[in-house]
Amino acid sequence: MNSAIKYLDKTLAGALVLVMVCILLSVSWQVISRYLLKDPSSVTEELARFLLIWVGMLGAVYAYRTNSHLGLNLVLDKMSAKFKQLTLILIQLLVIVFSGLVLVFGGYELVDLTLELKQISAALSINMGVVYAVLPISGLLLIIYSLVNLWYLCSGEMIKTTSQESV
Amino acid sequence: MGMTAFILLLVFFILLILSVPISFSIGIATLVTMLMSMDLTPAVTTIAQRMAGGLDSFALLAIPFFVLSGLIMGKGGIAKRLIECAMALIGALPGGLALVNVVSCMLFGAISGSAVAATSAIGSFMLPEMKKKGYDPNFSAAVTAAAATTGMLIPPSNILIIYAIASGGVSIAALFMAGYLPGILVGISLMVVCMIYAKRKAYPTEDRLPLRLVAKKCLAAIPSLFLIFLVIGGIIGGIFTATEAGAIAVFYSMFLSMGVYREVKFSEFPSLLLKSAETTAIVLLLIAASTAMSWLLSFENIPQTFSDFLLALSDNPIIILLLINIVLIVVGAFLDMTPAVLIFTPIFLPVAMQLGMSPLQFGIMMVLNLSIGLCSPPVGAVLFVTCAIAKTKLENIIKPLIPLYFAMFVVLMLVTYVPWVSEAFPRWLGL
Repeated sequence: MNSAIKYLDKTLAGALVLVMVCILLSVSWQVISRYLLKDPSSVTEELARFLLIWVGMLGAVYAYRTNSHLGLNLVLDKMSAKFKQLTLILIQLLVIVFSGLVLVFGGYELVDLTLELKQISAALSINMGVVYAVLPISGLLLIIYSLVNLWYLCSGEMIKTTSQESV
Repeated sequence: MGMTAFILLLVFFILLILSVPISFSIGIATLVTMLMSMDLTPAVTTIAQRMAGGLDSFALLAIPFFVLSGLIMGKGGIAKRLIECAMALIGALPGGLALVNVVSCMLFGAISGSAVAATSAIGSFMLPEMKKKGYDPNFSAAVTAAAATTGMLIPPSNILIIYAIASGGVSIAALFMAGYLPGILVGISLMVVCMIYAKRKAYPTEDRLPLRLVAKKCLAAIPSLFLIFLVIGGIIGGIFTATEAGAIAVFYSMFLSMGVYREVKFSEFPSLLLKSAETTAIVLLLIAASTAMSWLLSFENIPQTFSDFLLALSDNPIIILLLINIVLIVVGAFLDMTPAVLIFTPIFLPVAMQLGMSPLQFGIMMVLNLSIGLCSPPVGAVLFVTCAIAKTKLENIIKPLIPLYFAMFVVLMLVTYVPWVSEAFPRWLGL
C-alpha cells in the first residue's frame, strides 16, 4: 500500500508543478501578446482562471497530505495522548464526510448539471463541467488521504493535522 | 437570523477548538447550517458551486505569483543586500541595529509579501548580530516580530489582494497605494520606540561609513528594490494588472537570483513551484469555503441584521469603530490574517460603510489591526518563528513587545479616525 500512496503523492505533486507552469506561461503570454505582438490573446485570461481553480483544489489536497492547512492547535496540544488520538480520528472522519457530501456528491451534481445545460465558457468554448470536474476528483483524493491518516492513527502513530504558519 | 447565525458560529467554534483545519471548519459549519433549512442535494450543490465560483477570479491569480517570487527572493541573497544598505544609511543613529532591523523587515516584507518570510530572512541575520553588540535578545526578537508585519501593508501584499476579493471589488491598485503611508508610519513609530529604548539602555551605535562605501552598499541593493518599482509602477501606470505584475515579478526574481546573484539553481525551481502551489492552495481553499459561507450570510441577511444590532448599541461612530477594532484585535490574536479577513470583511464592512467609512480605509484598518494579532500570543505565526531564531521563550518577549504594541495601536487609531492617512495617496494618484 505504501508504494501506491507514494506513487499518488508524486503524481499529485507533478500535476501541480505542471499546472503552475501553464498558469505562469499563460499570463506571460497575455502580456507578450498585448505589448510585443500588439494582438491581445483572447483565451489566456480564461485559461489561467480555470487552471487556478485546479491548483486551488488539487493543491488543497496536497496541503492536506503535508498537514499544512491553517488551524488552531491550542487545545489539541494540551490533550492527553488518548484524547488527542480520538480527536485526530474525529477530524479525519469529518473531512471524509465533508469531502464526500460537498466535493464528491455536490461536485458531481454540479458537473452533471453543467454538462446537461451545455454551459459553455466564453473564450475557450469548453464545457464548464470539465472545469468543475476538479471538485469530485479532489474530494476523492481527500477521502483517500484521510483514510491513509486513519490507518496511521489506528496503528498508534501520531500525526499533526494543521500548521500555524501564516500564509 | 438569530438562530442561523448562532448555529453557524457555534459549529465553527467547536470545530476550530478541535483543531479541524480552518477551511474545513468554515465549510462544515456552512453545510450544517444550510441543512437546517434545505434538502441535502441543493445544499451541497450550492456549496460546491460557490466554492468553485469563489476561485474563478483573475485577481486571485496574483497570489501564486507573488508567493513564488517571494520564495525565490527569500533564497536569493536579497535579505543580505537590503540589510547592508540599511546599515550604511541608518546604522549610526541611536539604537542603530534595531532601526536597521525594522527597515530591513519593511523592505523585505514589501518585496516578499510574507511576514513569516521576512522574520526568518532578516531575523536569522540580525538577531545574532544584535546579540553580539549587547542588545537584549528578547527585545531584538520583539522588534523583529513587530517590524515583520509591516510588509502586510506595504505593497505588493497578498493580504490586500485577498481583502479586495472579500470586499467585492475594491481596486487592488488603490489598496496598494493606500497601504504605503500607514505601513511606513508603523515602521517609523516602531523605530521611535527602538530609539528611546536604546538610549535608555545606552546601546552602542554603528560606525559611520565613508560616503563612498554608503553609495556602494546602496547601489548593491538597487536591483532588489527595483522589483518594487517594476511591480508598483506598472500597476499604477496602468501598464499591467496586479496579476500580470505578479508574473513579471516571478521572472524578474528568477533573473536576479538565478542569473545575477547565482544563489538559486534552476533545478530548485520545480520544488519552489510546488511550495507556492501548496501555500496558494491553503489560501484558495479558505477563500472557496468563505465564499460559500458569505453567500449563506447574505442569503440569511445576517450582515444587515448584525449592522442594525451594532448601530442600535450606539449611534456614535467613534464608539462603534473602537468596538470593531477591539473585536478584531481579539480575533487576530487567535486566527491567522487570511481567514480573519475572509470571515470578518462581509460582517464588518457593511457596518463601517454605514458609518461613512470607505471600503479602502476599512481594508487598511483591518489589515493593520490584524497585523498586531500576527505578533501577539497565543497564536502568532511570526512570534513562534522569531522565538525559534532568537532561542528564547514566548513569555520572555511579551514585556518588550508591549511598547511596540502601543506604537502600532497609535497608528491604528490614526488610520481608524483619520481617513486622509489611507486615502490621500491613492486619491492623489487618481485611483
